[in-house]
Amino acid sequence: MGPLQVTTLPESIGDLLGIGGPLGEFVAGIIAAAIVGTIMLGLVAVSGIWAKRKITAAFTDRIAVNRIGPFGLFVIVADAVRLLSKELIVPEGVDRPAWDLAPLVLAASALLGFAVIPMGSLFGLNFQLADPEIGLAFVFAVASIASLGLIMAGYASNNKYSFLGGLRAVAQNLAYEIPLVLTGVSVVLFAGTLQLSEIVAAQQETLLTIGGVAIPAWFAIVNPFAFVLFLAANLAEVGRNPFDIPEAPTEIVAGYQTEYSSVYFVLMYLGEFVHIFLGGAIVTTLFLGGPAGPVLPGLVWFIIKMWAIFFLTQWARSAVPRVRIDQLIEIGWKGLLVGAFANLFLTAAIVGVIA
Amino acid sequence: MSSETVTPEVADVGVAANGDLDYDAIEELLGGYVIDRESHVNAEGFVIRPDEVEAVLSTLKDEAGFDHCASVSAQEYPDRYETIYHLRKFDEPTHEVSVVVPTPRDEPVSQSGAGVFDTAEWHEREAYDLVGVEYENHPDLRRILLPETWQGHPLSLDYDQDQPQIVPLREHANPMEKRTDVPDQPDTMFVNIGPHHPATHGVLHVKTVLDGEQVADVDPDIGYLHRCEEQMCQQGTYRHQIMPYPDRWDYISAGILNEWAYARAAEDLADIDVPEYAQVLRTMGAELCRIAAHLLAVGTFALDIYGDFTAIFMYAIRDREDVQNILEDLTGQRLMFNYLRLGGVAWDVPEPREKFFRNVREFVDSMPGRLEEYHNLLTGNELFQMRVVDTGILPPEEAKSYGATGPVARGSGIDYDLRRDDPYGYYDELDWDVITDEGEDNFARAVVRLKEMEESAKIIEQCVDLLEDWDEEDREIQSNVPRTLKPDPDTEIYRAVEGAKGELGIYIRSDGTDKPARFKIRSPCFCNLQTLPVMAEGEYVPDMIAALGSLDIVLGEVDR
Repeated sequence: MGPLQVTTLPESIGDLLGIGGPLGEFVAGIIAAAIVGTIMLGLVAVSGIWAKRKITAAFTDRIAVNRIGPFGLFVIVADAVRLLSKELIVPEGVDRPAWDLAPLVLAASALLGFAVIPMGSLFGLNFQLADPEIGLAFVFAVASIASLGLIMAGYASNNKYSFLGGLRAVAQNLAYEIPLVLTGVSVVLFAGTLQLSEIVAAQQETLLTIGGVAIPAWFAIVNPFAFVLFLAANLAEVGRNPFDIPEAPTEIVAGYQTEYSSVYFVLMYLGEFVHIFLGGAIVTTLFLGGPAGPVLPGLVWFIIKMWAIFFLTQWARSAVPRVRIDQLIEIGWKGLLVGAFANLFLTAAIVGVIA
Repeated sequence: MSSETVTPEVADVGVAANGDLDYDAIEELLGGYVIDRESHVNAEGFVIRPDEVEAVLSTLKDEAGFDHCASVSAQEYPDRYETIYHLRKFDEPTHEVSVVVPTPRDEPVSQSGAGVFDTAEWHEREAYDLVGVEYENHPDLRRILLPETWQGHPLSLDYDQDQPQIVPLREHANPMEKRTDVPDQPDTMFVNIGPHHPATHGVLHVKTVLDGEQVADVDPDIGYLHRCEEQMCQQGTYRHQIMPYPDRWDYISAGILNEWAYARAAEDLADIDVPEYAQVLRTMGAELCRIAAHLLAVGTFALDIYGDFTAIFMYAIRDREDVQNILEDLTGQRLMFNYLRLGGVAWDVPEPREKFFRNVREFVDSMPGRLEEYHNLLTGNELFQMRVVDTGILPPEEAKSYGATGPVARGSGIDYDLRRDDPYGYYDELDWDVITDEGEDNFARAVVRLKEMEESAKIIEQCVDLLEDWDEEDREIQSNVPRTLKPDPDTEIYRAVEGAKGELGIYIRSDGTDKPARFKIRSPCFCNLQTLPVMAEGEYVPDMIAALGSLDIVLGEVDR
């Protein structure tokens, strides 16, 4: 399979506006990034403020927001105004630059990951900002910057709960990022490339046909073991039940974000939700065939799949207990890591025999 | 009553051949320690010298089998201070004895009983705090409910309520200041968990020393919700003015259970009969309250383990809502019922009776199905088991020494339930079981609560059967009680009922007026909370939170 020729979003925009050259590319890139960023932030606003409440309410026999606007959707506006107009409380003794930077780092690291995700096309535009050959490595790399933000927040807050939360977050991310990447590598072995668009393309073939229904060669179907491993590690990575230990409100109040209020809190919260969606985007790209799907345009399918992963995190949140920190570390190092290595060797063997 | 009463293998000293308590034999056992003998309504009291408390208590504990220090009541008389240790047996709670320790007014120092019964530690701190008796050899005698800087002892006779509490800033002890047993070490961290913390179920403040993620030392600091309930009760008349207060101790819908504690003590004190029909109504109402209280206990416990967004909590609230609807029909209130009266209840079941009974039956019949759901979500969940099995261990010996009762004790395998062992109401006529579990851990306590709800449902069903068939002419809801109740002067009583959290006891001393001279509440939460260090020290922070949740404390009852 030769390298795929995809037109990225900045290129399309550049063509559309008729601007070229280094400056034109830069301007087109900014415009494209703004479009993708807006889509993602829009998703976060809908999910974090509205859908989260509705989903949890459905699990717990409640109705949730239904007063402002249709289905209570305008609560998004109300909440945004409320959150942004709150007083920004800066506690005494916080380590200033680090404390201020942490929310930015958190939100930015999650958003950066979307730079290379192929999100499918809509109206002939291919929603992918860039398609570097090391796409997958880039996604994992920028997503891990969040750990830095977490420890900055935890350490700079001058609060013992934040401190505990920050330490827990780092311990957890260390324990789960390795299995996450290793499982991702097994997909790379299958696809033979780190380039995300090609990983997606590799999943487009038909695996087998049952009763006229073509089952695509999604890696979730080809290698369900890796899929489950990746989902579990991803839950830990985004810090949701049963792995929401860094926040654990009933234990350490709110963990690393205890001292944040107003805009900073919004950034923290936003970073967390973008992270969930980034996790969903990675799972979709690596295991669920990316934007592939019948009838609907690619971008729509992509968003549906991301939401499915988001829905899963909310489901876990309503139904699964939080494990203890020592149990979490044990699951990570003794369970998932071993599983991830086993999966990697197995995949390598299969790929070596077949290909 | 289905479970047979446990008889001790070796008869303790002081137990006659027919199983009754022989106070003369106990007096003989105590020998020279006894300087006088008093008669309380519930038990005989032996008056002893203030420097021989420990010897007397340990003799009674080791040789006469009184292993449960139910309560410690202190009070001031015009001529003396007095501390009463109410002892009973876990195996046979009807065997009671009071140890009365008078101390002179000018030097109110009495030996501490904390060396014999761990539970006495907090009880004596409370007595010191509110009444002003000092206890020698007490491991940690300081105020417990009031701030450290409080001036005077509010329940002492010469306390001036109008005198403002003026505390200069420099003297004002910072409640957040650290005070724990663990010395400062570079690798431990002191954390204040509470008074405002999502997991403390109210305004509890736990001073915690952490060694990494592990708990090195915990010291519960209570009193944030102290509302002088004892004093308020002392200022109300027996007949009507006290009954509303018990609703506000354990305010988590355990109202009728609490009211019954007062009703039982006052009725026995003033020798008031309760018609049988009213007893059945009381029993039904009380068990409905127990279900409501346990549902909330299980729900909040799930909240502690699962996190803030768990569905189980809302399911518990949903089911509790049904109980509250029934209780509202019965009592007219949803939370602060004020349904019991001395000598009966306020009113009969609402008309049309059939509709009410149908509602109750519907609820009772749905109970097994509802509990199945909780078992699926909670006890059957492997992750949940991973979290709570073998954490927060409370060995039975420790539980007994700390005076733990209720589901906390029964979760440690202590077969102690006043409804069966010290029968009141209509319980001994009904068919139900006392639930115990040998697990001794957080899991066992949750299981006991879930199973107890099933037993409560059984009791309610039998009560409905009885009420439905009750002869219409014979539905007497209140006996004839004098408008002004003045029990005989100098009668004293300690009576307890099985509240939602355990043994809820009331000590009342009457002085011949229509108000109690001393009203002491033995709160089960207060005693159960004392066991937290046993459960939590050496465990992880989340286990401590789980242990706290499994204790099911209500701060309104802890602080009173």
